Amino acid sequence: MPVSTRSPSARFRIVGALALAAALAAGCGSSDAGAGGDAGPTRKFVADNGTITIPAKPKRVVATGYAVPALLDSGAPLVGISTWQRGLPMMGAAERERYDEISKVAGESAAETNYNAIAKADPDLIVIGVPKPALADINMKRLESIAPVVTLGPSVPKAWRELSRRQADAAGALKGFDATRTAYELKAKQLAEKYKSVLPKLKLGHVGAYGEVAKGTFQREFHGSWGTNVAQDMGANYYGAVKVEGKGSRSVSEYPSIEELPDAFAEADAITYSLKADGSVPPPVQSVLDSPLWKNLPAVKAGKVFPLRYTEAATYREAEMTLDAADKAFAPLLK
Amino acid sequence: MTATATAADSTGSTWGARRPLLLLAGLVALATVMVASVGVGAHFIGPATALHALSGSGDPNDVALVRDIRLPRGALAIGVGAALAVSGVLVQVLSRNPLGEPGVLGVTSGAGFAISVGSGLGLTVNALGELLAAVVGAVAAAALVAAVGRRSPLRMLLAGMALSSVLTGLTLGMRLISPTVFDKYRFWSIGSLAGREQAPNTMPLLVIAVAVAAALLLSRQLAAVALGEAVAHTLGVNVTRVRLVTLVLITALAGAATAIAGPILFVGLIVPHLVRRAADGSVPWLIGFAAVLGPVLLLAADTAARVLLTTGEVPVAIVTAFLGGPALIWAVRRYGVAQP
Amino acid sequence: MSATGTALVLRRGRFSALVERRTLVFTAVMLVLLLALGLTALCYGDGWTSPARVFAALSGQRGGPNVMIREWQLPRVLAAVVFGAALGTAGAVFQNVTRNPLGSPDVIGLDAGAYTGALVAITVLSGTPARLTAGSVLGGLVAAALVYLLAMRGGVSGLRLIVIGIAVNAMLTAVNSWIVLRAELEVAIAAVGWSAGSLNGLGWEQVRIPFCVIAVLLAALVTRAPALHQAALGTEVAVGTGVRTESLQVQLVVIGVGCTATVTAAAGPIVFVALAAPQIGRRLARTSGIGLLPAALTGAVLLQSADLIAQLLLSPVSLPVGVVTTAIGGCYLIWLLSKEVRSG
Repeated sequence: MPVSTRSPSARFRIVGALALAAALAAGCGSSDAGAGGDAGPTRKFVADNGTITIPAKPKRVVATGYAVPALLDSGAPLVGISTWQRGLPMMGAAERERYDEISKVAGESAAETNYNAIAKADPDLIVIGVPKPALADINMKRLESIAPVVTLGPSVPKAWRELSRRQADAAGALKGFDATRTAYELKAKQLAEKYKSVLPKLKLGHVGAYGEVAKGTFQREFHGSWGTNVAQDMGANYYGAVKVEGKGSRSVSEYPSIEELPDAFAEADAITYSLKADGSVPPPVQSVLDSPLWKNLPAVKAGKVFPLRYTEAATYREAEMTLDAADKAFAPLLK
Repeated sequence: MTATATAADSTGSTWGARRPLLLLAGLVALATVMVASVGVGAHFIGPATALHALSGSGDPNDVALVRDIRLPRGALAIGVGAALAVSGVLVQVLSRNPLGEPGVLGVTSGAGFAISVGSGLGLTVNALGELLAAVVGAVAAAALVAAVGRRSPLRMLLAGMALSSVLTGLTLGMRLISPTVFDKYRFWSIGSLAGREQAPNTMPLLVIAVAVAAALLLSRQLAAVALGEAVAHTLGVNVTRVRLVTLVLITALAGAATAIAGPILFVGLIVPHLVRRAADGSVPWLIGFAAVLGPVLLLAADTAARVLLTTGEVPVAIVTAFLGGPALIWAVRRYGVAQP
Repeated sequence: MSATGTALVLRRGRFSALVERRTLVFTAVMLVLLLALGLTALCYGDGWTSPARVFAALSGQRGGPNVMIREWQLPRVLAAVVFGAALGTAGAVFQNVTRNPLGSPDVIGLDAGAYTGALVAITVLSGTPARLTAGSVLGGLVAAALVYLLAMRGGVSGLRLIVIGIAVNAMLTAVNSWIVLRAELEVAIAAVGWSAGSLNGLGWEQVRIPFCVIAVLLAALVTRAPALHQAALGTEVAVGTGVRTESLQVQLVVIGVGCTATVTAAAGPIVFVALAAPQIGRRLARTSGIGLLPAALTGAVLLQSADLIAQLLLSPVSLPVGVVTTAIGGCYLIWLLSKEVRSG
């Protein structure tokens, strides 16, 4: 999953957990480091790390991880962000320009958060959007001595809808968020109408981008996973369920051996697979497409194979791009 | 050293006579492991069904699995195993260093690093490009390690380990700086045969076959060189040329093996230690045994790699390391750290 | 084989007065360098502050930036110095015990063992911080015991110990990869991440206990230092002068493992300092054997400069210091080795 494979060094340092516990217990940090604490009215906000008192209208927000694209797209007042290289190909020109402008306060991994840079950005709110295990790498107490911290990390893939909304809400950017959501929902509805006669009838399977060639696995995605959730909004119907129920993304995707390809997709009427954001085929998917077992699948023999682009979408604006790409991919079905 | 030599002399006659028999036993073992490797995997196929599938009849998926996936993969395992084991023998004989091995001396790391940098920069687009990059990397690494450590075996090992670590650190850094570009390195950082049968591997396999044959042809002269320059001269052997050719063979073998499967450590270190007693001081037999036992080891490891996890596989390099550890400890305790 | 092994280590027994003076000069130079590097690191937050400001902060002046220097930068700088010294010392201890420059904890599998212990603590025992520390120390000790016992066969030969250590290291690394592969995703993320050593985000509450442990271990080591130097001369000499080598070796190994595992538990495995620092220190101080003090000082300087580079290289985004120690330590070692070859 993007969450796991792309956040490589969520280093589990004992101190991180200690700091988190200490931070949750009491805010006895050095009080004279905080800067923008006296800026107007506050409100209570329920986040993963408890009920946090945050500014009602934040003016200077620092965002990391998945909060970066969410807050960029909803136009929050950002003053510092972590780098977000995986999202670059999905950024529009305007978002990209802002992304380049805003100073970077952390790298791709939570372990290398630059606390001095965050302090220098002088935020009145910090939104942490990294997965829960990576939180152990962050010195929470130190962040809380700078500004109120809300952690809102990804859980199951399709939950980006709710997650990005909560992140935008914390940063006081619901207005921009609602605009992107309305546009998405309108387009999804139109496309569902357009494909109503074909798409819901097909039993679909999906090959995801996060198999590992070296381990001889492919990724099969089911209902509500990264590769499938947006297509579902236009009426696609993915069958089956994971063999062993796991947490997070493991509840909607699994990594069988490539030798199990025939068993996995024997019943599929059609198969979709993930492309990279630049439109190329990722190596793990390519190794599936090149396999002789793939060529024996009924859906492949029938020519019912559809590549999907922008499957990493984590905001409504990005998901709109996913819808457009899926519309192009599924077009042959209507002929 | 002298103690081991005398020990070898005293048992020499018995071992010497048994050598052809031992080689035959090795080949039988290889055939057995090959049959097992065709049947075992996430989708189990019985020997009878496998035989049917091999001839092209039966379930089309079984046929595809046996003929297009497991058999080619077995061939790759044999090639890589032979390449690593033989290059291990060559390194140990040439450097007179019982700890020498392309993996430990950083040669495979150099090859893997060169491939990943090449593919990260978009230079190596096909199998030939990967092979070239691997060989260039192997040559550079071998040259550096040999230049730094030519005075003592231990220093050579030290230099090799330092080089491996530096390359590991560099790649980790590159991945952290630009995860998308160097994502591919995830494959080249750990050796595996999974899915490699899809790549066009004829060229590296050919290189391995030629190099192993060349090593066998060269073995008598190499044995003379191993006895010391003076002895080699009296036997009429051109020391410099033999050394140079051996170096070329080592880098070609290590480079080709890495181009196929990524860096796999330990096979080149274990196998020579295991067959040294049986070879009984004869370099040609040492190479011959290694060329059979290396494939047995790698094929067995690759078969085990498919069943060690409930879903998916363990990369074969992890299995060889796990098998290699105890084997090496046993060899060191049994024979001591002596010269080959 | 063994002759080549000891050739790199101490062979002559008596230091001449010249060597003593050189050691003194070396110590002074390294201390000055360490102070300069530490001060530079204190001045560097995100952007530079003046040294005057740093001194003001250290003397207890109040105000935002001063707190940052005292509470954020200072523990990190001290951690770099103390952890670097601990790793360098541990490396020197092991290289003396094995009488081999390769006999450092990271080569013979102690880091891998500590990582195995931590992994078991995380996956099986749902690792609390205390269990994680205990697991990594225990793992390191078990790995050390394993290597030691396997290598023992009528006395411990240095080279055999290294080879067996490399074998154990490879096996443990394989086991670690296997645990990570079969672990649940969330656990695997946490475990894999732990493998890149970093000093980022260390505050007083995280370094206090490791500092105490390391202080106790180093103090214990100092009391055994004379015996260690005797032992380094060779078992025969040591026995002749009444040093009981077997029990001394065990004590030294426990101290070395303790230092390595404590640093690993606090900052992740920072590799190559233990391997490179004693060798670099020996060459810089021009001592004929591997001294504890040069190794400790070199380790501290090495880790401190590596941490500074890790912060500056891609500023404002920083790298894990483990990546930098690997690159610097490895390159320097190769350069030193090649220089020795050239000068004969």
